Amino acid sequence: MKSNTNIRTSYLACILLLLLVGISPLGAFAQEKIKVQGIVLGKGDNAPKSGVTISVGKKSIAATDKDGRFTVMVDPGATLTFTFSGFGAEKKVVQRATANLEIVMAPKDEAMREIVVQGFKRATRETTTGSTVVISGKQLQDVPVSNVLELLQGKVAGVNIQNNTGSPGAMGTINIRGVSSAQVNSSGFLTPTSPLFVIDGVPVDMNTNYEYGFQGGGPGISPLSLIPPEDIESVEFLKDAAATSQYGSRGAYGVIIITTKRGRSKVPIVSYSGSYFVSYAPAQRKVMGGNEERRFRINQILNYDTSYAQGMSLINITPFLADSLNPYFNNSTDWQKLFFRTTNNQTHNVNISGGDQTFNYKTNLNYYSEEGILRNTGFKRYTLGMDALYQPSDRFRMVANLKGAMGQRNNGSGMGLQQVNIKNASNLSSLVSPAYYADFNQAADGKEVRDDNKNINVSTSLDLQYEPIKGLRFSNLFTYNIITGSSSKFSPSFINDNIPEYYAYNDKTYNLYDRAAINYIRSIGNHNLNFFVFNEVSSYGFRANASLLTQTANDQIEGPVGYSWYRSKGGTLDNAKDTRIHGFGGSISYNYDTKYVVDISYRLDGTSTNGPSTGYTVNPSISARWNFNRENFLSDLPWLSYGSIRGSWGRNIVPTGSIFDVFGTYRIGNNYNDDPTVYIDWGNIPNDAFKPVTKTKFNLGLDLGLFNNAISTVIEPYYETTDNEVMDVSLANVNGFTKIKSNARSVANYGIDASLTWRVLPQNRAVQWTVSGNIAWVNPILSKLPNGERQTILSFTDADNAKLPLVYRLGKAPFANQLYNNEGVYASTADVPVNPQTGLRLQNGRNTGIFFQGGDPIWTDINGDYIIDEQDLVTAGNPWPKFTGGMNSMLTYKNWTFNMNVSYTLVRDVLNIPLAQTFQNFYNPTVPQALVPINEYDIWKPGGSKTSGSLNAKYPNPFDFRRAGQINPYRADQTLFQEDGSYWKINQMTFKYNFNRTWTKRIGVTSAAVYVTLNNVYTFSNYSGPDPELVTQLGRDISGGYPNRRSMALGANIQF
Amino acid sequence: MNNKQWRLFTGTLLAGAFLLALTACNKLVPTYRDALSAEAGFSQTTFEPVVGRTTQYSNVFVNPNNGSTYPIDFTIVNARRFSGEAAPELSDIFPVKVWKQAYTGTETSIAEIEGKRATEYHNVFEVRKHSGDFVLWSSSTSRILRCQADSGYVFDVEMSNSGGRRYFRNMRLMPFRERPYEPSNLNPVTGQSVSNGIYPSYMLNVRGDSSNNYLTAADVDVYIRKSSETGKTPGNTISFMFLDKYFKPIDPAKFALTDWNNLLHGFNVKKTATRVTYDVAFPVPLAQLPTRFTTADGRRTSVKFGYSRIGFGGFRQDAVIGLDFAIYEPGDWEIVFAFKNDSPKFSND
Repeated sequence: MKSNTNIRTSYLACILLLLLVGISPLGAFAQEKIKVQGIVLGKGDNAPKSGVTISVGKKSIAATDKDGRFTVMVDPGATLTFTFSGFGAEKKVVQRATANLEIVMAPKDEAMREIVVQGFKRATRETTTGSTVVISGKQLQDVPVSNVLELLQGKVAGVNIQNNTGSPGAMGTINIRGVSSAQVNSSGFLTPTSPLFVIDGVPVDMNTNYEYGFQGGGPGISPLSLIPPEDIESVEFLKDAAATSQYGSRGAYGVIIITTKRGRSKVPIVSYSGSYFVSYAPAQRKVMGGNEERRFRINQILNYDTSYAQGMSLINITPFLADSLNPYFNNSTDWQKLFFRTTNNQTHNVNISGGDQTFNYKTNLNYYSEEGILRNTGFKRYTLGMDALYQPSDRFRMVANLKGAMGQRNNGSGMGLQQVNIKNASNLSSLVSPAYYADFNQAADGKEVRDDNKNINVSTSLDLQYEPIKGLRFSNLFTYNIITGSSSKFSPSFINDNIPEYYAYNDKTYNLYDRAAINYIRSIGNHNLNFFVFNEVSSYGFRANASLLTQTANDQIEGPVGYSWYRSKGGTLDNAKDTRIHGFGGSISYNYDTKYVVDISYRLDGTSTNGPSTGYTVNPSISARWNFNRENFLSDLPWLSYGSIRGSWGRNIVPTGSIFDVFGTYRIGNNYNDDPTVYIDWGNIPNDAFKPVTKTKFNLGLDLGLFNNAISTVIEPYYETTDNEVMDVSLANVNGFTKIKSNARSVANYGIDASLTWRVLPQNRAVQWTVSGNIAWVNPILSKLPNGERQTILSFTDADNAKLPLVYRLGKAPFANQLYNNEGVYASTADVPVNPQTGLRLQNGRNTGIFFQGGDPIWTDINGDYIIDEQDLVTAGNPWPKFTGGMNSMLTYKNWTFNMNVSYTLVRDVLNIPLAQTFQNFYNPTVPQALVPINEYDIWKPGGSKTSGSLNAKYPNPFDFRRAGQINPYRADQTLFQEDGSYWKINQMTFKYNFNRTWTKRIGVTSAAVYVTLNNVYTFSNYSGPDPELVTQLGRDISGGYPNRRSMALGANIQF
Repeated sequence: MNNKQWRLFTGTLLAGAFLLALTACNKLVPTYRDALSAEAGFSQTTFEPVVGRTTQYSNVFVNPNNGSTYPIDFTIVNARRFSGEAAPELSDIFPVKVWKQAYTGTETSIAEIEGKRATEYHNVFEVRKHSGDFVLWSSSTSRILRCQADSGYVFDVEMSNSGGRRYFRNMRLMPFRERPYEPSNLNPVTGQSVSNGIYPSYMLNVRGDSSNNYLTAADVDVYIRKSSETGKTPGNTISFMFLDKYFKPIDPAKFALTDWNNLLHGFNVKKTATRVTYDVAFPVPLAQLPTRFTTADGRRTSVKFGYSRIGFGGFRQDAVIGLDFAIYEPGDWEIVFAFKNDSPKFSND
């Protein structure tokens, strides 16, 4: 039906043309028009391109239809120009009538013409002075993932993405250019410093409600997980201060702009892409099972207990060792297998778009369903996004965007990042029964919890622009984003100490943002000027309510109330937030003949968490660019396609802290004379000079295109400082208050981002091969501590119950671990150093009388007092990777495409806490915890006597269980468990086949492709733990983490 | 300039700018130095050890919250007498026996014990280089050091690491003169005894021979003294003697329940009718290590002598007399139990 209309239009155009010719009095003598028919194909995917404009001279004469076909009547010898947004123009001279002219259009690879965002303006890269990287949405297709962040790993230099949770719907960590915060929360996670995401104009801050795992009880769905990757047109990374200047009030950690697809074809396009994928768990650790384990425990007790009789007695009072024929203990349970599974999943996406420059529209429907590799976990996404642009004339433009998304997630018994119950359960002895009624009920926890978590995200934006006078443009962008989350979780009685428990949670986040701006463009000769002033306001609020009902009637009835009023509770959680930001400022851009470019911007920002005496903060930036390839003296170099150098300096902020840090906390006290009293909390003193976190960035850039753009490269050295980071500073005890939240810490980062793209084979070959790679070196340094200190220690207990203090040292990495320096294992007792004064061997702890002996670890006695205690802790390791980056290879041969992505993280130290805990399970043979086949490790083995044995062993004697509790030889805080966490990872491999369009056309399909994708293919690493990526940003492997699944997808893209 | 020169100029400019950027970054950030916290210091600044024994003051250096970076170097500087004059006795070195291998309490000969020790030369008062622990070696004597009632010595301690140095000034060393054995009946300042002897640590079921009453610790004086034995070549021995109420020797064999071979960590036991003598290595005990010969905390050697008799009504009574003691000065020592009020009753009722 529609195609008929279309054909009619093109006929109409021909008739009109003919008529025009006919009317002309000279028509009879005019040259005979020739009829040219053909097809336009896109290079790479070989798909027909619809909506390509065909023009002769400056006059547009036709456009291709939805099959990419066109028919024009032109004079012989005319030059047809084919243009399409994002593609290089193709020219063809036609001499005579042809029916099958084939035009192949290649995407524009001239990096300098790429449109990028700087500030709120879009400009060609040639005239921008900031540091920006654009990733095309095409690179993010064909891999089904719940969170698009996973696909961006290793694609942009200086953007460090670690997928450190495999939980579907959750988000890993992302940091642009080094460490922006050294602040660690009470459960041992680094404060997230994710860049600001701007999704179709709507700013989304990922840091404010970041889920750490067990804090809060929210659904834990990342807002990024609600964006279908299929709908993404491009992702832009704004790194330096010039690029982020206009997002200055929240853009200090960088800005990532995600733009979804727009309609741009006159003919409506319906495209479907879907895939079916299988997720499977990575290899699990080996454990001992059944009789082997029991024999092992018994041998350990008999060999190492203080006496044989004592050993026998210990065995006999331990039922699971002694009562070996009891079916309750006579098991060989594979706990890991109980929880891990292979799942079948699918995703479907339908995109309908159409329109032209005046009016276009897009609708995207997405469904994504992934069952987690851990039982009872999973994520589903339903989204509907609409987008419309209306531009009746050059003077008025309106873009409206409306997106609705729902994410649904099952967390099992865990929350967010952590799967603590499953971790505990899979740490159980194989001898124990997996039955639900067993004592070890956390085993069933993961499987039997009924939970349902939902996030509903509605975001809208309206962008209006009006140009009353040529060059003067008024614009206003209004966005509103509301996220409601709800979570419910029912723990049946048999897994929860006979108390059925129902937890209900709901939260609401809103984010309102408006920006009004006036833009004035003026060109005088070669001098181009752009003035820009703006005013922006934004408002953010968050509130969560939760209730806990305990002791419901039974395991089937989950409410409405529990009958234990005493234990039931409910109310608003204390993380409610309400903040405002107001910013205004302006910028001036000047360029001379697009050769010399200078940008200056100046803005003032006030946030509701600025202290009253801080007021508005001033955030200027200045930047310049020199496109030196346009200089006459370089224009004759044939190998130089483009070249420019740029530099920028500027400052951005991110609001930090809360209103309580500024004004103190007032609490309601007892009544006085029957009136309620209000008093100030003596915890934190009000800080009226509270400042937002400020980042000052200095960036240099060199862009080079060589050999007809076959090689293009960007090298950017930078230096950034983060100041005013909040730190608790203790006050003198003569003060009534105990602490002040002070803007006292600073971190500096310097490094180099470099990236290179190389088109290996010339453009006209059938085989095309492009490789690109990037590398980022960063050196983060702690540059300021409060009170002029050079070193402070932060003690805290990890999520994994490991007490591992962090140390902050001026002039070194922003944080490092404090560990005992392990130098091996004492081969025999005679090797233990002796205190010359007392004649006693090295002791563990002061005045404990616990002396080291053969088989114990050698820890360096740093202060030489022959006592190993916390004074011997050394600062060791740098958990922040020195190098990150990735590589990409794209190989095309006719209809076949092979794409491979690799990412790497190098030179970082990881603490293998799970390994330590694995060994610690040997401390007590009467506690039913999983035992690994320990003889596969290089452990110390006794020789003739129990006090001397193997030389140069790596791991201490794990069997000496009577002393293990006193020496704690497998403590996690020793360098023995600090390992190199470098890894290379093959992220994705995609084999794709594009069907010949002549073949697909017969079934009414304009283009079709099928592919096979392997995701998270393999990690190359020397790390001995399960996955070097699955570690916190403090470089600590936390065994309760959710492993990253591997997946294999079979998918198809079809376009009608 | 022609094109070539311009190109050269541009290239140099670019290279220069990048090199400058790279090198400048290093200079902007603070250089690393070890931390030396202002809160770190000594929890004890006056040391009053007893000369003649090795005394270790450990954990006197406190580093709150590990605010200073280890390793830290400590040295004693400017040690002087309280009057301000120089104290060469603190900078002189003296031979002292130090342990090379660990004492275990299971050594089977004096030679084995001495094989674990070696002689080194040390100042009598030292600070341990990295820990800030102070040591007064057993080589110290009241002849070398000025002991109380003298005001002793004043010294400063320098603490340093790559973060800088700090001085802790006017710390005091005020030693007491020798008290060669413990428990001691000597006045710490004058060194003169203030009582006839000390009391035994254990007294159980010992009945008086004439009174038939249970004897208490107060009925016995214990003298720890250099040996009165004549005609013996000087060595390192400990002898045990028992005196009755007439101060006549009791045959040690009467303490028949005594495990003479494992009485203390001594060797070559020689029994006579008046005394039992052991070859020992000093100090006694050799280390503060709980062994079968010591008290539970390992600070003193514990000796117990016992005998058994049939008491009134035919009940067997096991009697014990014992002493926990320490001797720091080598030599021939004798420990005398004088039953000054009544002799012990060995005969059956």
